[in-house]
Amino acid sequence: MQAIKVENLSKTFRVKRKEKGMKGSVKAILHPQTEEIRAVKDVSFAVEEGEMLAFIGPNGAGKSTTIKMLTGILYPDGGHAEVLGVDPVKKRRQLAYRIGTVFGQKEQLWTHLTPYDNFRFFGAIYDLSEKETEARIDELLERFALEDFINTPVRNLSLGQRIRCEIVASLLHRPKVLFLDEPTIGLDPVVKENVRELIRQMNEEEQTTIFLTSHDVGDIEKLCRRMIVVNAGQIVLDDSVEHLKRHDPQHSLEEIIVDIYKSEED
Amino acid sequence: MLTAVKNQIRVCSLSVKYNIMREMVNKVTFLTNVGFMALNNATFLVQWMILLRLRGDVGGYAMREIMLLWGLMAASYGLSHILFARAFSLSELIIKGKLDAYLVQPKNVLVSVLTSSTDVSAIGDFLYGTVLVCACKPGMGGFFLFLLFVVTGAVIFTAFAVLMGSLSFWFVRMDMLQNQIVMGIVSFGTYPDGIFKGVSRFLLYFIIPVGMAVWHPVHVIVGFDAGMLLTVLGYAALLAGISVTVFYRGLRRYASGNLMGARV
Repeated sequence: MQAIKVENLSKTFRVKRKEKGMKGSVKAILHPQTEEIRAVKDVSFAVEEGEMLAFIGPNGAGKSTTIKMLTGILYPDGGHAEVLGVDPVKKRRQLAYRIGTVFGQKEQLWTHLTPYDNFRFFGAIYDLSEKETEARIDELLERFALEDFINTPVRNLSLGQRIRCEIVASLLHRPKVLFLDEPTIGLDPVVKENVRELIRQMNEEEQTTIFLTSHDVGDIEKLCRRMIVVNAGQIVLDDSVEHLKRHDPQHSLEEIIVDIYKSEED
Repeated sequence: MLTAVKNQIRVCSLSVKYNIMREMVNKVTFLTNVGFMALNNATFLVQWMILLRLRGDVGGYAMREIMLLWGLMAASYGLSHILFARAFSLSELIIKGKLDAYLVQPKNVLVSVLTSSTDVSAIGDFLYGTVLVCACKPGMGGFFLFLLFVVTGAVIFTAFAVLMGSLSFWFVRMDMLQNQIVMGIVSFGTYPDGIFKGVSRFLLYFIIPVGMAVWHPVHVIVGFDAGMLLTVLGYAALLAGISVTVFYRGLRRYASGNLMGARV
């Protein structure tokens, strides 16, 4: 069964344009000019339940915009998306109970609170009873090895500890689909490996569908069987990681990906 | 439906509790913030006492009406900033694309945003306003009306801030205008309505809702008028409805953002 189904999804942003200098600023007030940027253009794909998909591309390719449309943050201009059979635009709240999100560059946790207090807050957000929340915290505490810092304010945690807590917070309500937007950004190699192992474990044990964006080839190689490459808002490749590597055994996956990006630029 | 409302209230209560806990981390700052805000308000009252000694009344207000006006303004402003402080920086959240965390939660976006911050000095405003009105000895009925108008005043304050802030979905740099125009309620609302005539009076009743937030309520507490009471209640409900509609209409234009950020 398909966990995510996307058909001709599009999103355009209108951006103000200004000429350089003070003269440009004055001109922009008198004659404001805008430019339309098509961040996502008629993107279509599907993700099976329990699949781990890498959704990659260079900066500004439209990865985060696509994730944001799939999670109900942004309204698409065209096309249609369904996550777990739910339209994110029409039933955002209903969908939110069944998905989890981790944005590596944005904290969802309250930094002055301890992870434990944060988890209790997230439990309330997802309508879990106190008993259910406690039981789930105990379960994830062990799996993600949070014992040593569960009662330390988030602002005092290392980046690796914080990301682990962010993932736990997004898993409290047992989501069926987890959207990970650069979850390993800024982490050292050991912590990265640790986080990858936890994501893999979760996928195996809870059959969570993983939708991952990352610039780290290690994340893709070690977690995902399939990858979709987007560039300038369009899908330029949808293939299995294994097939790509077999097709070009002389090059590493990183080199293959860079080649794809470059060929698209040309 | 009832369970959903109950759960939303549970989340909001936790949110306000955690906000206050955050501010209480530094006890000295917390207490001085609260105390100095009350003291700051008190100094203005001294100015009014001196002014009213020189003149019998200003715009039809004697010292008791001035105390009611300040009490009501301080308590309404305080309540709105204790419970819904984020309404007053909504514009910034929209412009910087900081609504994402609220949009991925299965809760009412607007309520979650509004309750995500508390201004602790507003506790000082709220306490000061309540003490001031009690000092006027309004009686049981008057005090009940005061409490009711504190709620309607807070609703009007918050709704107006949401309405102004939501315009940022359409226009950039609305944050500056939001601050100016919302603080206009406080600036004008601490003067008697009798000194405003013509266009300025019209503006302060229908564009910047000072009249409905404090002036009408003061008149009702001084001399009960059912018509005025219903007008205030109706206006608060209408403004809240309009602000919610405009916010959700604007949310469709929300562009998010890629700035790195933390929830503090």
